[in-house]
Amino acid sequence: MLQTSNYSLVLSLQFLLLSYDLFVNSFSELLRMAPVIQLVLFIIQDIAVLFNIIIIFLMFFNTFVFQAGLVNLLFHKFKGTITLTAVYFALSISLHVWVMNLRWKNSNRFVWTDGLQTLFVFQRLVAVLYCYFYKRTAVRLGDPRFYQDSLWLRKEFMQVRRLPLAKALA
Amino acid sequence: MRADSGLRVEEDHPRPPRALPPVPSANQDDIPLSRPKKKKPRTKTTLASASLEGLAQTAIHKPSEGSEPPAKEPVEHLEAPVQKRQRKPRLSLELETAFTQKTTSSPSLLPNENGINVEPAEEPVIQKPRRKTKKTRPAELHYANELGVEDEDIITDEQSSLEQQSVFTAPTGVSQPVGKVFVEKSRRFQAADRSELIKTTEKIDVSMDVKPSWTTRDVALSVHRAFRMIGLFSHGFLAGCAVWNIVVIYVLAGDQLSNLSNLLQQYKTLAYPFQSLLYLLLALSTISAFDRIDFAKTSVAIRNFLALDPTALASFLYFTALILSLSQQMTSDRIHLYTPSSVNGSLWAEGIEEQVLQPWIVVNLVVTLLVGLSWLFLSYRPGMDLSEELMFSSDVEDYPDKGIKASS
Repeated sequence: MLQTSNYSLVLSLQFLLLSYDLFVNSFSELLRMAPVIQLVLFIIQDIAVLFNIIIIFLMFFNTFVFQAGLVNLLFHKFKGTITLTAVYFALSISLHVWVMNLRWKNSNRFVWTDGLQTLFVFQRLVAVLYCYFYKRTAVRLGDPRFYQDSLWLRKEFMQVRRLPLAKALA
Repeated sequence: MRADSGLRVEEDHPRPPRALPPVPSANQDDIPLSRPKKKKPRTKTTLASASLEGLAQTAIHKPSEGSEPPAKEPVEHLEAPVQKRQRKPRLSLELETAFTQKTTSSPSLLPNENGINVEPAEEPVIQKPRRKTKKTRPAELHYANELGVEDEDIITDEQSSLEQQSVFTAPTGVSQPVGKVFVEKSRRFQAADRSELIKTTEKIDVSMDVKPSWTTRDVALSVHRAFRMIGLFSHGFLAGCAVWNIVVIYVLAGDQLSNLSNLLQQYKTLAYPFQSLLYLLLALSTISAFDRIDFAKTSVAIRNFLALDPTALASFLYFTALILSLSQQMTSDRIHLYTPSSVNGSLWAEGIEEQVLQPWIVVNLVVTLLVGLSWLFLSYRPGMDLSEELMFSSDVEDYPDKGIKASS
């Protein structure tokens, strides 16, 4: 069973990492006095996303659902979060590499091209979605139902099992 | 020696303890309801209480029998338990009052009986460990206090044992609380330390007591509500900021956007910070609006949107505003790096200003309108929060299901 204090700690860590992510996304363009500052901010941001991925998976492993072997059910339920986080991580790294490449020599140079602008828009949009889905998942994992056997779990399990069957029949 | 101990005990508790024995008989009325498994041990206490009743009867008879040897008594007491088993619930209260009356009415007789019945003192002692083992089995976790030695378990009263003498002719032993509890584990009774068992069970009790007060669900719910507060703040702040921004832009640009170079010069320090702030607030507001319509449940969100639910519309408008605002990042940076066209390497060639700035101003205006509209839509139903309803109250939905499944 998940302890309340542990959960509060993990949740606050997740929110800290999320808010750092949001902060860097918002103000990294302002903090470009020296390219090193941006580089460090970006590296920490990517590590924060990676940490968040690790934490959410650790939380998954901690659930009764996972320990009962119903990994599929868990991934089915949170596939949106997992996919979005992975996509966001990839987009972030590519944007950071691109921007740092262009600004490394002169950080106050006008570097924008259409391609960079597009990547930028996508990365920032996905960041918002990632924030929303990740926050939702983290909060949902506080539900005690994930940590004990219940009728709800059995029902969910039956639904997930039925889905592939229905697809196969269709 | 045994006789001595029996007497000594009696001396230690001269009269007041006599009034106590009815307590178990009073308990037995409600206990079997909650613990049906414990019938066996309870029947013994029934016997004991019955024997107490028998005692009351003997107390009545005593004046006539006086110092008669106990040969006759067994007959009476054999009958008494049988009757009592049937009449038990009804009699428990009567017994209590009757017994206390009788005992007080015939105090002089009791020492006499004690003197006669020496052996019975050991009788309940042998039963005690037996009873213990039976008790611990069903009550391992939930009845921590039962592991402790209760006063009623140690029968110092010779009186009660007097009657059982003839009923149970079990071997004798010395009565004293043992430090061990015999717990049934894998079909064998194993001795466990009583104090440790009490400790662990108490711990479980404590954690069980704490749990309902503040669970992980409550933590999640409070975090969710806190974020909703932040979102509520950012909705209003964003709307105000956007309006202020567009007013500043139009004021600086002058009539019919005639003074664009002035706008660029004045606004260039402001452009990028404002762009950053706008992204932060828009992100917060969008997340908060998504929370309200529970965007992750796509079917519900789309249905709400098609039904022109104000909250769903607001979240859509926020998302649009976010895209529009992000698309102006390049122009904002260009304004941020503004240098007059006369300067070498300037990004702003002569005559390009209006071409670049016009769409930028229009987009800013649209973003302001969208943000303001969203704020109005949200304030139409400020209390709406589908996430909370769907995520946190779903266990309520489980119960009717349970009922249906249980009945089917």
